[in-house]
Amino acid sequence: MDEIVREFLIESNENLDQLDQDLVALESEPGSRELLSSVFRTIHTIKGTSGFLALTRLESVAHVGENLLVELRDGKREMEKRTADVLLMMVDTIRALLVRLEESGNEEGIDIEATVSAIQATLDNEPLPEEPVQAPQAVLDSPEPATPVVTSTPADNAAPADIDVPEPPVEAALPALEIFETEPVAPAPQAPAAQPVKKSVASANAAPAQNAPERRSTSDSSIRVDVDLLDELMRQVGELVLVRNQISQLAGYDSGDLLRSSQRLSLIASELQEGVMKTRMQPIEHIWSKMPRVVRDLASACKRDVRLEMVGGDTELDRSLLESVKDPLTHLVRNAIDHGIESPDDRVAMGKPRVGVLTLRAYHASGQVMVEVIDDGAGIDPARVAAKAVERGLKTPEQLDQMTPNEIQNLVFLAGFSTAAAVTNVSGRGVGMDVVRSNIESIGGAVEVESAVGRGTTWRLRIPLTLAIMPALTVQSGNEIYAIPQVNLQELVALDTEKTKSAIELIGSAEVYRLRGSLLPLVRLSTVLGKPHNDEGTAVIAVLQADNQRFGLVVDRVMNNEEIVVKPLATALKTIGIYAGATLMGDGAVALILDIQAITRRSLNSDGTDLMGTRLGEEESSFGENTTEYLVVSIGEERRVAIPLEAVTRLEQIKPERLETVAGREVLQYRDSIVPVIRLGRYLGVYSDMPGEDIQLVIFTHGNRTVAVLVEEIIEILNDAGATRSEVAEGGLLGSMVLSGRVTELLDLPAALMTADPVFYEDVASFDSELVGA
Amino acid sequence: MSTQYVTFRIADALYGLEVLRIEETLGHHPRTPVPLAPQGIAGLVNLRGQVVMTVDLRPRLGLEQLAGDAESMMIVVETHGESVSLLVDEVGEVLTLEADAFETPPDTLDPRVRELITGAFKLESGLLLTLDVDRALAAV
Repeated sequence: MDEIVREFLIESNENLDQLDQDLVALESEPGSRELLSSVFRTIHTIKGTSGFLALTRLESVAHVGENLLVELRDGKREMEKRTADVLLMMVDTIRALLVRLEESGNEEGIDIEATVSAIQATLDNEPLPEEPVQAPQAVLDSPEPATPVVTSTPADNAAPADIDVPEPPVEAALPALEIFETEPVAPAPQAPAAQPVKKSVASANAAPAQNAPERRSTSDSSIRVDVDLLDELMRQVGELVLVRNQISQLAGYDSGDLLRSSQRLSLIASELQEGVMKTRMQPIEHIWSKMPRVVRDLASACKRDVRLEMVGGDTELDRSLLESVKDPLTHLVRNAIDHGIESPDDRVAMGKPRVGVLTLRAYHASGQVMVEVIDDGAGIDPARVAAKAVERGLKTPEQLDQMTPNEIQNLVFLAGFSTAAAVTNVSGRGVGMDVVRSNIESIGGAVEVESAVGRGTTWRLRIPLTLAIMPALTVQSGNEIYAIPQVNLQELVALDTEKTKSAIELIGSAEVYRLRGSLLPLVRLSTVLGKPHNDEGTAVIAVLQADNQRFGLVVDRVMNNEEIVVKPLATALKTIGIYAGATLMGDGAVALILDIQAITRRSLNSDGTDLMGTRLGEEESSFGENTTEYLVVSIGEERRVAIPLEAVTRLEQIKPERLETVAGREVLQYRDSIVPVIRLGRYLGVYSDMPGEDIQLVIFTHGNRTVAVLVEEIIEILNDAGATRSEVAEGGLLGSMVLSGRVTELLDLPAALMTADPVFYEDVASFDSELVGA
Repeated sequence: MSTQYVTFRIADALYGLEVLRIEETLGHHPRTPVPLAPQGIAGLVNLRGQVVMTVDLRPRLGLEQLAGDAESMMIVVETHGESVSLLVDEVGEVLTLEADAFETPPDTLDPRVRELITGAFKLESGLLLTLDVDRALAAV
């Protein structure tokens, strides 16, 4: 329902109650100017507003009533019973019209003629008709069946409430009473309690039709409550949840009454929490109401025919979250029209209807609010996205090979991504989707896309119901407990004592873990917190995602999954920037909540753990000047070879079938070019072929020349500080040295690379640009 | 004119804080350390469901910071709309002190400490230093 109509209803209903009292008082006190002018003012306001809202029936009733009131006010008429009767009849008719308006959005079906003619007759001093019709009954006798929500008409969105809130018949409640007779709370009171926060519309309709005096209108069933009071209630419910958690913990050791009571408490606390949360909810309609205009303007600017459908506008969200969702949603709508829906001619050519359909859908699912923006347009072509990702250097073909089409479509959320062939003034500047993602993530939500080429695209926002209470994983680092928001968590990998050391590998200064074949950058929580890290014992990798980056946070131990109540931090602690808040554990201890997004930004972008990025080369060159960093690899037959790390562009892991043979030499299609592959083992005289499913490659790039060096295994990165050297050069080696207690051969890298590509070092001109722009 | 002060000890010195500034005084509560927090922040405590930051004034007073698990009493004050808890060795008594016994801080006072001290009351037992709690906490 339009905001303006809703406000009109609330205001008019409040005024009508006053009007009833005033009219009755006026009868006993006919001369009161004060009462008369109050009555006159109310009717005049209703007449004016209804005229403005084009509610003609309401206007005509108010109009004729006003005429009568004018005569009273001007002293041309005395307030006697007949006048009072028709005026009260007018009030009833107006109320009936308002109820009708509230139910269905229009004023059809209410008979106003009887009232109008009765007032007119009074005005004309005609004799009374035999049987004055009780106008208000009209609405109650003709309840319209509600239509399912399909269109954007606000009144229709509210309509389903009509269906699902029947007053439970008393008979039906009785069997339930028998089943639950030991329960302290009888089901009968529960029935009304189940609907306490249903919209007023629902309550109005819930009243049985025969029971006219029980009708509840917007003003009866809603009250204005200070937001601070609601916040305070929410806070106290948070406390209750904490105490509930504590008691559950204590009761865990008990098997008798305490456990039962605690379970009951748990249930009540959850229901109360839900109820209080609902008081802060507002329907998403509030932000959808602007969409029809956005769509209309944009569709005409982009020369598209678009029909907007909105489903589930009454789905409610915490008011603080609603605001944060607005901009991302608007962006998705703009994007859907500009990039999603094709021009009418294209659509017809493809056998689709001329008019594209853009659907906004909101619903509750698994404790979250889902908001979908669905278009039936061209869809997102994974091949185009993949090509663009490679072109922008966001992903390598190797990485793309391992991704599903849907994962590739989700690359559009990467920063700096835009597939629009031409930049338009609507969207397509390469900002947007990543901003949508970070905005939604900042309120603890997530965004994803599903698309079928030629059939359309669905953007789905998952939004938490509230920010005050959130599910979290509690972990231990050192002696302290920290909470990680579940929304960031993807999976957990436990490393036992023996595995810990070998499973975590080093590339540069960065630790990585091989998670199902891909390298996961690791961040130690102890390092983030500036503590010495604990090498002993077990560790758990929490695989986290934030800001479109995935990394593993290494913690000592995982404790529990729990609902935590977010407590604000003192200002001095907010500025540290890695804590999102604090919470209380079941035992009353304080635990800090980690701000995973902030940790991501801090740890991943500055440390060079972005392994696949082009930064590797730059970062490594800034290491110690007198020592050289070496990448140590094995080549078979237990031989270890050191390669100057500075020269390495990146490391890749590929499937053997990607190696192809051209003119007797092995090559690899890599980043749109054909790259020669040199098997380092063969080159250095090892002839046993390497086992293993995946092939490890070390990639060297110079200018636009690239060579891939195939090794058995990448072992570690070491520097040569204090290493014993032997400068006996032979067969492609510069000599050997002792690195971490083992003899390691030092590769003559230029010679090896020139074997694969004789002109590798000649293209110097584009070297710098390649490093930056790759 | 007289004002009521709550006295407390940190190390060897006796300090006073206006009674009206104090929300409550409490015994020891276990503190949760906050890694990377500025010096002087001694962690977080749970005060009946509220998470309150504790401040150890010792570094500001030129003393060694308390160990994380050191037992300590607390005085909770409100500053800039937030409750903050000061760690003190011992909470003393409430004294009603006359303004004529008040003097500005002695020149002999350590300059770092002087910033936090508005003055001193001359008591028979020694000096009571009055703490400028807003300044002391703002600098944390």
